[in-house]
Amino acid sequence: MGGHYLLRRLVQAFLTIIAIVILNFFLFRMMPGSPERILLRNPHLTAETIAAARARWGLDDPMPVQLVKYLVATAQGDLGYSFQYRGQPVSEVIGIRFWPTIILVGIAEVIAIVAGLALGAYSGWRRGGRVDKVGNGASLILYSMPYFVIGMPLIIIFAAELGWFPTSGMLTPGMSYASPLDQLLDFLRHLVLPLVTVSLGLIGGYSILMRSSIIETRTEDYVTTARAKGLDENRIVRQHAFPNALLPTVTIIAINLGYVVAGVLTAEIIFNWPGLGTLTYQALSVRDFPVLQGVFLILSICVVFANLGADLLYGVLDPRVRS
Amino acid sequence: MSGPTFSDPLRPREAAEAVDTEGHLVGAGSIGDEADGDGVLDATSIAAAALEAEVAASRGRQRPLPKQADPNAPLLVVENLRTYFTLESGTVKAVDGVSFTLNQGEALGIAGESGCGKTTTALSLVQILPSNAKIVEGSVKLMGIDLVGKSETGLRRYRWREVSIVFQGAMNALNPVQRVRDQIAEPIIERLGQPPEAARKRAGELLELVGIPKKRGSAYPHELSGGMRQRAMIAMALACDPAIVIGDEPTTALDVMVQAQILQLLEDLRHKLGLSLVLITHDLSVIAETCDRTMIMYAGRIAEEGPVSTIFRTPRHPYTQKLLAAFPNIHADRRTLDVIPGSPPDLRNPPPGCRFAPRCVFAMDVCTEVVPPEVTFDGVRVACHLYPEGSDGVPITVPPEPIDRPAPVEVSA
Amino acid sequence: MTATSAAKAPTGAWGLRLRGFREFSRRFMRRRDGVVGLAILVFFTLMALFPQLFVGPLETAITASGKGLESPNLNHILGTDELGRDMLNLTIHGARVSMAIGLLATIITVLVGALIGIVSGFVGGLTDSSLMRVTDFFLVLPTFVLAIILAPIILDIVGVDAEIAGLRATLVVIVIVIGITSWASTARVIRSQTLSVKERMFVDRARVIGSGGRHIMRIHVLPNVMNLIVANTVLVFAGAVFTETTLSFIGLGDPFLPSWGQLLYAAEAAGAPGLGAWWYIAPPATCVVLVILGFTLVGNALDDLLNPKSGVRR
Repeated sequence: MGGHYLLRRLVQAFLTIIAIVILNFFLFRMMPGSPERILLRNPHLTAETIAAARARWGLDDPMPVQLVKYLVATAQGDLGYSFQYRGQPVSEVIGIRFWPTIILVGIAEVIAIVAGLALGAYSGWRRGGRVDKVGNGASLILYSMPYFVIGMPLIIIFAAELGWFPTSGMLTPGMSYASPLDQLLDFLRHLVLPLVTVSLGLIGGYSILMRSSIIETRTEDYVTTARAKGLDENRIVRQHAFPNALLPTVTIIAINLGYVVAGVLTAEIIFNWPGLGTLTYQALSVRDFPVLQGVFLILSICVVFANLGADLLYGVLDPRVRS
Repeated sequence: MSGPTFSDPLRPREAAEAVDTEGHLVGAGSIGDEADGDGVLDATSIAAAALEAEVAASRGRQRPLPKQADPNAPLLVVENLRTYFTLESGTVKAVDGVSFTLNQGEALGIAGESGCGKTTTALSLVQILPSNAKIVEGSVKLMGIDLVGKSETGLRRYRWREVSIVFQGAMNALNPVQRVRDQIAEPIIERLGQPPEAARKRAGELLELVGIPKKRGSAYPHELSGGMRQRAMIAMALACDPAIVIGDEPTTALDVMVQAQILQLLEDLRHKLGLSLVLITHDLSVIAETCDRTMIMYAGRIAEEGPVSTIFRTPRHPYTQKLLAAFPNIHADRRTLDVIPGSPPDLRNPPPGCRFAPRCVFAMDVCTEVVPPEVTFDGVRVACHLYPEGSDGVPITVPPEPIDRPAPVEVSA
Repeated sequence: MTATSAAKAPTGAWGLRLRGFREFSRRFMRRRDGVVGLAILVFFTLMALFPQLFVGPLETAITASGKGLESPNLNHILGTDELGRDMLNLTIHGARVSMAIGLLATIITVLVGALIGIVSGFVGGLTDSSLMRVTDFFLVLPTFVLAIILAPIILDIVGVDAEIAGLRATLVVIVIVIGITSWASTARVIRSQTLSVKERMFVDRARVIGSGGRHIMRIHVLPNVMNLIVANTVLVFAGAVFTETTLSFIGLGDPFLPSWGQLLYAAEAAGAPGLGAWWYIAPPATCVVLVILGFTLVGNALDDLLNPKSGVRR
């Protein structure tokens, strides 16, 4: 039964990605000017490269053929050439920026899930209590703040005024390191403020989510049964309320992953964190469409896979969907 | 006629104790039950039943009583219990002065329509009420120990180990993400301190006891049918070998065939384990089949209480009479009690005096002014002005169809 | 007989609505969070409607009244930006842009979302499943990045300085792009509400009388779905302001009619955070947060009050 569920979700994910690639293809068509002007604008590209690209993408062929060639090219990792710098392949440009973003998002998500869900569960269970009043209020405010609005004051206070952390970048430019450990420490110093920013942004949302889920779960019959069994409160929350409250929470967290992407991108910008966010910002200012579309594709794939992961996780958490 | 009364909770329940005015055996089973199949309840049947009861009792409570228990006190004595709910719109007096006694081995049925306070009464016994409810007055003495006024930690000792509950609609009363076997084993591990292996083994035994094959224990609640879930809940309720099991509408969500099986199961378990049962239901046929005594509640108060046969045969309270008249045949089609014109009063603002007066055909002036006192005669307790203090069971005469009747109280949304 | 009873039904459904409204307002007023949110929104709406009353006309680079990046002083209580424009002036005028774009984007989002949600839920079958496939697709997409791609494309097509219905193209594009990217979750919410309404008796009764599908949708389904649409709309508004601020911050805003997001973009571009020029950042940032918070509080309060599944405590 589990295998069936998994297969179905994999197929759906795959189809979604194909749909996104097709969407990307049609976005090309919407742009004014010939596809060539849009796709191959960098003066650093040699004539051979341009001719080869034209053949690969079938720019002189009818539309359906172009679409197929586009799909094939994309599957092979050919995402076009950037308008900037040396006309690098988009896949290269994105490749460099990919990992800083993943590290930032990944660690922030872990922190936010642990802290946010815990805070939300506690607040919701003891609704109206002190932790709830403070915690829920803080969460609502954080939830209403775009990530860069969270980050800017942090920069002003902790980087500009107090100087505890650097104001931008991932590593100090021009530094030479005595050992890998030093480099790691420098990296971590730069990571703190962006990480805190993204984490706070996520915690706000997750806490609110979990809180309302726990409040609903608290009134369920099986919780009353657990109380009637004379179990202590910790056990009731841990074994009965929390696992059930987690289910809709996971679903909504998965749905919101697309919006998280938006937040992280803007957070990167204010810290000049060399990830996909700053890449997007720069690409937008010069209308570097191949890069923008490449970023769109990569991020979409990431979100689709993250959703898939969340679905599978849900299957583990809720036995009712397995059959 | 007096119903079975035992002052010693450790004394085995004897089936052949009570005999009614016509020499028929009562208290051993449901009305119409025949002990040895020949249609006559005679000396041999009585002896056989007594022997069976002795055997059952010896298999009964193995565990020691709680330290504070009084071995001479009745199993459960509830006195003047009042539980109120605080809502934005006012205070709902859901249970307003309820008293009753439950003796070892008895099955008490609490009947009444929705909202009459029967579930709240049951939940008040071990205080698993929602946060806006509070017991404002009264006492609940379990083996002589007053549970009202105990702290949450103090109460826990008695929950499930002395009093357990089988909730209605077991779909939601069982944790959907936990295996059935683990849910049954949970109180054995947590409350009795047994190791998990032993607890799971015991859970398997309990499942077998209620008629579920042991290996189905690894299933999740949604994988079981409604009837099986209810059985599983019963198994879970028995996990700590409680003195009292409360069944809150345990058969309401089930179809008639399954309902009969569950009731039979409860009966068998009661005999085998010497359990005391409190059955809450709006379905009088269930009470007729399973209970020794019954308590009819209306709008937070007791209307009438007594042995099942007496109540059913000679209902005294006008409400009880209406209830019984509401369905033609005890064993067939059950119906809820909406044939009585009007609806129950709004418990935020209950009428003064008798709460049934607005809908009662026999209502007199005194009914709307004075709360009827509870009067006992004939083994039956009634709260109705037709039976004033010192009555012997004959209602005072009432003029036919009094002219000025206050309109039935409409419950505001 | 059947014709007249069908004609009476509309007034009945809406009439009840009006009576319920007064009772509802009373219950709403009792909620502290909803009231605070409402107060915030009223305040900013006034600010958005009559900015000139507070600070006079919008300062431009030409009419800048101060020197670049002055910190707060007696002449400029919130300091100035890098062009010397008074921050208080810019912030208050920014309210109008942010709120207006938010409002327009919300209207589009809710119209599209409600349309698709109700049709999908009511008609069911193949229409429903195909519409929901599309909706789910949009839910998965990182719509923000899609917006970033679409906006310059549309602007290139239309021309940056064009004006559509008296509004600058830049702003119109933002509105459209927010609409395109936010309709999906509204559609889902409204569809599920439509489904539960559809189950109820009276729709069948209307069918028996012989009303057409469209009539049923408009007269019977819509009033009951309205409740949830209203609560959802308020939350959509919060999201629209959120998204507009973010899109402007990325550089898609209009420098001539700066919204709060655009002001923050300018602040970032001028290096304000690193320079410690907090007065450039704090006013628009605070306003954004307050407005979004206001909408969220009101939206949550409405949702709690209108959602029948709310728990024991109100």
